[in-house]
Amino acid sequence: MGDLLGFVLSGLVSGALYALLATGLVLSYSASGLFNFAHGATAYLCALAFYELHSGFGWPAVPTALLLVLVVAPGLGWGLDRLMFRKLARVGETAQIVATIGLLVALPAAGLWVVELLERAGAPVLPAENQFGLPGVGPSPAVSWQPLDGVGIDSDQLITWIATALAAAGLWVLMRHTRLGLRLRAAVDNRALTELRGISADRLSSTAWMLSSGLAGLAGVLATPLLGLSAHDYTLFLFVSATAAVLGRFASVPVAFMGGLGLGVLQNLVAGYASFADGVTGFRTAVPFLILFAGLVVLAQRRRAAGTAAADPPPVDYLAGKRWGRRWGAWMGAGALLGAAFYTVTTPFWSGILTQGLAIGLVFMSFTVVTGLGAMVSLAQATFVTGAALVAGLLMSHGWPFVAAAAVGTAAAALLGAVVALPALRLGGRSLALATLALAFLADQVLFQLGWLRNGDTGWEIPRPVAGPVDLGDDRAMGLALVLLSGALVALLTWLRGSRWGRAMLAVRSAPDAAAASGVSVVRTKLLLFTVSAGLAGFGGVLYASYNTRITATDFTAMTGLVWLAVVVAAGVRRPQFAVVAGLVFAVVPQLMATYVTESAHLPVILFGLAGLALANDPDGYCAALPSRRAARRAARRGASDPSATGAAAPAGDGPSEPLLARTAEPSVVGAAGVAPGTGDGPGETPSASALELIGVHAGYGGAPVLHGVDLVVRGGEVLVLLGPNGAGKSTLCRVAAGLLRPAGGLVRVRGGDATRDTAVTRARRGVRLAPEGRGIFAGLSIEENLTLQLPGAEDRDAVYARFPALAARRSVAAGSLSGGEQQLLALAPLLQRPPTVLVADEPSLGLAPLVVDEVFRLLTELRDHGTALVLVEEKAAEVLGIADTVAYLAQGEIAWSGPRSEVDRDRLAEAYLGTGVRR
Amino acid sequence: MPRPLRVIAASFALLLVTACNSASSGGSTPSSVRGVTADTIKVGGIVSMTTASGYSKKDTDLGARARYDRANAEGGINGRKIEYLGAEDDGQDPARNLAAARKLVQQDKVFAVSPMSSVTFAGAGFLDAQKVPTVGWGTLPSFCGPAHLYGFNGCLVPTPGGTLNQTWPEGLAAVLGGSRGKSVALIAGDNDAGKFGIRTFTQGFKAAGFQVPYAKAVVPATSMPSDWSAYTKEILRSGPGGGAPDAVVSVMQTPYNIGLFTALKRSGYKGVISDPTDYDPGLLAKDATKQALDGVHVLLQFQPFESDSPAMRQFKADIKKAPGGTEVPLNMHMLTGYMSADLFLSVAAKAGEDLTVESFQKAASGFSDTGTLVGDRALPKGQQESFGCGALVRLKNGRYEVAVPFRCYPPIPFG
Repeated sequence: MGDLLGFVLSGLVSGALYALLATGLVLSYSASGLFNFAHGATAYLCALAFYELHSGFGWPAVPTALLLVLVVAPGLGWGLDRLMFRKLARVGETAQIVATIGLLVALPAAGLWVVELLERAGAPVLPAENQFGLPGVGPSPAVSWQPLDGVGIDSDQLITWIATALAAAGLWVLMRHTRLGLRLRAAVDNRALTELRGISADRLSSTAWMLSSGLAGLAGVLATPLLGLSAHDYTLFLFVSATAAVLGRFASVPVAFMGGLGLGVLQNLVAGYASFADGVTGFRTAVPFLILFAGLVVLAQRRRAAGTAAADPPPVDYLAGKRWGRRWGAWMGAGALLGAAFYTVTTPFWSGILTQGLAIGLVFMSFTVVTGLGAMVSLAQATFVTGAALVAGLLMSHGWPFVAAAAVGTAAAALLGAVVALPALRLGGRSLALATLALAFLADQVLFQLGWLRNGDTGWEIPRPVAGPVDLGDDRAMGLALVLLSGALVALLTWLRGSRWGRAMLAVRSAPDAAAASGVSVVRTKLLLFTVSAGLAGFGGVLYASYNTRITATDFTAMTGLVWLAVVVAAGVRRPQFAVVAGLVFAVVPQLMATYVTESAHLPVILFGLAGLALANDPDGYCAALPSRRAARRAARRGASDPSATGAAAPAGDGPSEPLLARTAEPSVVGAAGVAPGTGDGPGETPSASALELIGVHAGYGGAPVLHGVDLVVRGGEVLVLLGPNGAGKSTLCRVAAGLLRPAGGLVRVRGGDATRDTAVTRARRGVRLAPEGRGIFAGLSIEENLTLQLPGAEDRDAVYARFPALAARRSVAAGSLSGGEQQLLALAPLLQRPPTVLVADEPSLGLAPLVVDEVFRLLTELRDHGTALVLVEEKAAEVLGIADTVAYLAQGEIAWSGPRSEVDRDRLAEAYLGTGVRR
Repeated sequence: MPRPLRVIAASFALLLVTACNSASSGGSTPSSVRGVTADTIKVGGIVSMTTASGYSKKDTDLGARARYDRANAEGGINGRKIEYLGAEDDGQDPARNLAAARKLVQQDKVFAVSPMSSVTFAGAGFLDAQKVPTVGWGTLPSFCGPAHLYGFNGCLVPTPGGTLNQTWPEGLAAVLGGSRGKSVALIAGDNDAGKFGIRTFTQGFKAAGFQVPYAKAVVPATSMPSDWSAYTKEILRSGPGGGAPDAVVSVMQTPYNIGLFTALKRSGYKGVISDPTDYDPGLLAKDATKQALDGVHVLLQFQPFESDSPAMRQFKADIKKAPGGTEVPLNMHMLTGYMSADLFLSVAAKAGEDLTVESFQKAASGFSDTGTLVGDRALPKGQQESFGCGALVRLKNGRYEVAVPFRCYPPIPFG
């Protein structure tokens, strides 16, 4: 019993650190949707800074720790958010993962570089290598007590517990009892809705990143005595704590925190009681990763609609429609030059380096398949490489010929890939990435520890292949063979992408449900893809190992796989030849840097890591950056018809020029508004002036136009009902009105002022509210919290409760558990209390019982009487016409008819719906 | 076949034909005097200096430089000065290790590589194939066998059918006053290397007459435990009659040892604690490590810095000169570099004035001397087994003192 208590108590020490890191992960993830692989690196940086400032500069421990945790680490988080995370939140998931992997290596290198510079400048810094038993915040060496028999604690452990408890309490107060915390939780619950309420999610994201970094800093400072100054260990620690974040589904801070604590205890219990696994080498080492993997798979199964990865359509091909010579000419030329160079200009050293680059390029091509084609991030490619090479080496040691051994090795890697993929396929995005990472660590720690497979530290010899007169033992011959092999593989992969199977894959990644509906098996397609990619990695791995002439089990670790992914994605995964470029760059650039640029080993690593910054701007990688930008510019020029022209003219346009823009609509709309163009001279605050005005608005998504010049005016105290069939562009119009979508052309005015370039936040602050389709509430927050977000004053909330006793009775209930009608009431109630200038309601009656619909419309009428301008968007006309002042029909992105309600009749409605309306 | 494939297949055939014509002549037969001129010998080194794990061997470079500086000050080797290019940093990365080996040979055209000290030696095959004499720390299997690779104190990885170095068991027997009836607990990390360590030392300690009631590779090898009670409890109950064993031997790295030893002492363990890695005067600079390692017996396979032999005095003097007069604390990496350089110089001196790879290899086979900082050296025996010499030092009151003096022990067969 004493054992058990001791295990639990001391397990809480690492548990506390896991909890801190996991909490930070959840905070940053929920703020910007980014799994921060570099979170452990932040902790390491703080540990390094603490060590140098405390031990080197002699600063006192506690103030230094406070400075780092409260100022420096949050500052770092803020800076990174501004510089990169904010931008990354808008690009694809792969680029996000890769950018933070880049940081994972760049941040520690940057820290060490600073230490190096300080040392050169004569500052009293201490070397950061080979440092053990570092002092923490408390006494060093730690004081220990034995309160119970067999249960010992020391001062470092005690400090960790207390600091963690304080941090937890502080977080709890912040999240539960402050306005900032409420907003943060709202943003976690529904980021888009937060913005619609006029709360800047970007600023919240900065705050979350500062908090997250602060927690990482705290973990770093606390872990200094335990982990020392090993960036590697901090990163491993982070991966383990990712398990806790997964338990909290990257959304729940309390669950993640408790999960972290539990994880530490569990790990300790396994260490204490797992004697059953003594026979399995590496089992105990692998425990955290077993838990991580199991957690991911189990949680994914419990989640609804977890069958496949999120839809992730491929980017536009900038070379679409180009001739063969244009697509391939330059690459063929480059390949021929490279092949020729081996026998003419390159020195033996550079021949070797180029050959190495080509060999690793083969491995990199496997990323083109799994990540480029399949949009899945695999962090286990290094595992396939090691697996294939070890198997091939094992067979060759038994006298197998190279080709046969390579074939079996490739097959083994493919098999391993299938095994890895089977449980992981139901996961998508970062869950898949984490699962493959966990499996990669499991393979490193258990599979590749098998004595008969790894052959100790000696590994296996893999001689270069010799076929008849061709001896690849010569680097140049090997290089040439690899050029040709790369060419063949590039051609094969390009053909594959265009084949029936490649199209099936593109369908699966773009729209999994649609693909499944049209008879493409999502699971089989993905499994096949993963298997092919693993086999390709294995094949490249055998050749790479034969370049080295030996494979040992530690040559390519899970961490190597992380770096590889970053290198490949930085170059681009759209076309297989980019992988070859990535391989060559990976081999050549470090040598060039060392020879011509810098002696410092840290600088190249920092530069490599900062490639993540470039990804934020060019998510397709540097190979495609220039041509795709050029293609985009050309496309923009080609499409430079009226929308962009209007857009360019619009900001300059003022009152007098506007009649020109009223092209598509009936004159009655602008005519009815009358005053609208004439507001240029005043603030336009008079009640009769237009509250919201759209003039010639063009809008669409990624080159697919939806609205083709829409004009709308609605005044305060007026209800405009917008009708239209499915697909007419109603929701797009709502998004434009709310500032969620910036129009490609035309003007948006709020109370007469130009609001075209607003973000959703500024639009909301101008008084324009969008009640989005579905319910505009934060399902995870209680009724009280939902109201508090919009009505900070208690008297306002009391007034709401007085008006709606149903809400008052359940104020602490989560809003998501209310009925649809109650949710809609909850969404409208605060607006009644503080009426906005404009309310745009997207299908407010959708899915509500008729009685409730009446109630909702009564409330909307009341809102109109308060002077709010209402735009009600409905598909069905029946009930809503009852409260309309003006009616507009939207069909195929244009206003087909508009006018006062009195002029609406059955024929007009039918015409509008059938698209045969009064278009001129 | 799609069009690009056709083009590539055609060029494949064409170019491979031209390739094989040149492949036969392309094999660069190194000139017999690569890196050797009338008055210089060019030598390079490979050392892991910057790593993500915070572990660095960079002082190896300083040690080697110190030894080469003295050789040059004494007039060089058979009239040739050593041109030491300094060590390439391989960052513990196999790819960089190989690239460094290639750079030294193909770009810098060195005659030899010494020192080579890293946790990986991917360049081994290349260096051996290119006939580059290489001397380094023989902790990796590559130093056991290949003709041109030498460990400065022999090959330290026992191979089944080979021999086992008995320095540690014999040394501990001396500390405990004999091995009869004494029990030893062995603990290592939970991976293949740890398992191999347990296997070899179990055999070694048993052969020396110890009981080995606990021998497990159980400590998670990548994430260090924050709590060691699970391990210490089992160890402390493993001895005869459920008591504590007479000695606890750790085959792990320093951070692990600090945690384990601290936990053992807190549990009231009074027996002998020993490990092979914690001989680093730098560890004495911190109170936490000083306390954790106090009383620990550390195995070394070279003469302790505390000993007062002429060779050690020479070593200290040379090291002091190398960085330009500034006092630097000694550590074992310096000695690694120093003795790697020393073995290379000794063999090169024996090779005579006509220094070629062949003459170097000839001089190496049958080379032997005695009384060095690593004991009695003999080649080619040293390419199969360790020189078998060592000492135990004990950390006491913040200083290392010699517990069992440096001497050489006869090896036992390993199987």
